[in-house]
Amino acid sequence: MITEQAEQLLELTTPVVKLWEGVVAVPLIGTLDSARTQVVMEKLLQTLVDTGSEHAIIDITGVPAVDTEVAQHLLKTVEAARLMGAVSVLSGVRPETAQAIVHLGIDLGSLRSRSNLKEALQLALSIVGATTVAVSGD
Amino acid sequence: MTERVPIMRMGDNLIVMLQGDLEDGTVEQIEREVTREVARTQARGALIDVSGLSVVDSFVARIISRIVAMIRLLGSDATIVGIQPAVALTLVELGVPLKHVATALSAEQGMARLQGRRREPAR
Amino acid sequence: MSLPAEETQVVPIAAEADLLRVRSALRAEAQDAGLSLTAATKLVTAGSELARNIFRYATHGQGVATIERAEHNGRRGVRATFKDTGPGIANLDEAMRDGFSTAGSLGLGLPGSRRLVDEFSIDSHVGSGTTVMIMQWGR
Repeated sequence: MITEQAEQLLELTTPVVKLWEGVVAVPLIGTLDSARTQVVMEKLLQTLVDTGSEHAIIDITGVPAVDTEVAQHLLKTVEAARLMGAVSVLSGVRPETAQAIVHLGIDLGSLRSRSNLKEALQLALSIVGATTVAVSGD
Repeated sequence: MTERVPIMRMGDNLIVMLQGDLEDGTVEQIEREVTREVARTQARGALIDVSGLSVVDSFVARIISRIVAMIRLLGSDATIVGIQPAVALTLVELGVPLKHVATALSAEQGMARLQGRRREPAR
Repeated sequence: MSLPAEETQVVPIAAEADLLRVRSALRAEAQDAGLSLTAATKLVTAGSELARNIFRYATHGQGVATIERAEHNGRRGVRATFKDTGPGIANLDEAMRDGFSTAGSLGLGLPGSRRLVDEFSIDSHVGSGTTVMIMQWGR
C-alpha cells in the first residue's frame, strides 16, 4: 500500500519516454512491489492513448530480479496494451533474467523481447503497420 | 435506418458505435441492424467503437465478440476501437475472450489499418 | 458536481434496469472513496457481473445489492454485498474455479469478479440463496 502523495509523486516521476513517432518506452527500475508496478504500468497505458502510440517498449534493465509476480504484472499490461491497439516489446533482458524467466516457468506468450533498447526500438519500427507512414504537420 | 445503434459510413467502411447499456432485449436488434448494414453496403471493414459503453463486463465482451464474428462471416474486417486503459486492464483480469480481435487506438488508426490491409497481397 | 455518496445505498435487483442503478451507486462510492480510475472500473465491473447473476439466475431475479463506504486504518474503500434468495450454488468449489467462469451463458463469472477486487467472500446454500461480498480499497 502506498499513500496518495507517494502515488502522485510516483506518477509524476515515472518516466514514460517517447522514443520515436509512435513508440513509447518505460524503464522499470529497482525492486518493484505490486502497488508501484501498477502505477507505472497504468501510466504507460495512458501515455499510449494520449500520444496515439502503437508501440510500447518495457525496459527491465534496471530490475535486478524478475519474479513471477512482476512477470504477471508485465504480461497483464502487455495484454491490456494489445486490447487497446498497441504492441509491446520487452527490452533489457540480461542472461540472468533469461535464465530466471525460463526456470520460473514463466511463459511470455507472444511477447517479443530483446536484450537492449536499441534492438527493441528497431524491432518496433520494423513491425509494419499502416501508421508507420509519417504524418506531416501535427 | 438503424434505430438501436448509430452506424456511419466512411467510404468502404462502416463505423458502428456501441453505446450506453446493452440489454438482453436490444442486443438482438443491434446484431440485426449491424449485419444488415454490413451486407447492404458491402462494407470491406467495420470499425466498432466501444468508448461509449457504460461498462464492459463479460456479458458485454461476449456481445462484442459475437458481433465481430458475424461481421467476419459476412466477409468484412472488424476492428475494435475505444478500449481505454482501465477497461483494458479490467478485461484482462476478467479473462474474457477478445484475444483474436483486431484493435486500434483511435478511429483514425483503425481506419488506416482497415485500409492498409487491403493493400496487402492476397493470401 | 455530484453530491457526495450516501453512507449506504440499498438497491433491490428485480429488473435489468436495476443493474444501471447498482453501477451508478458503485461509481459514486468509488469516487467518494478516492479510488483510482482503474480500481473503480474494476469494482463497477465486478458489481455488474454479480448483480447480473442475481437478475439472471436468482428466483424471480430477486435480490438486493448493498453498497457502502468502508474505512480501515485511514484508508477509504467501498464494500458491496450482493444477496439473493435464489436456488443457491450446489458446487461452490466448481463455481469458483476458472473455466466455469466463461462456460457459455451458464458461467457465473465468479472467479473473474474475484480477481477484480481486493476482497471477496461468498456464502451459498442450496435452497436458501447466495451472498457475495466484495471490497475495493483506495491506494
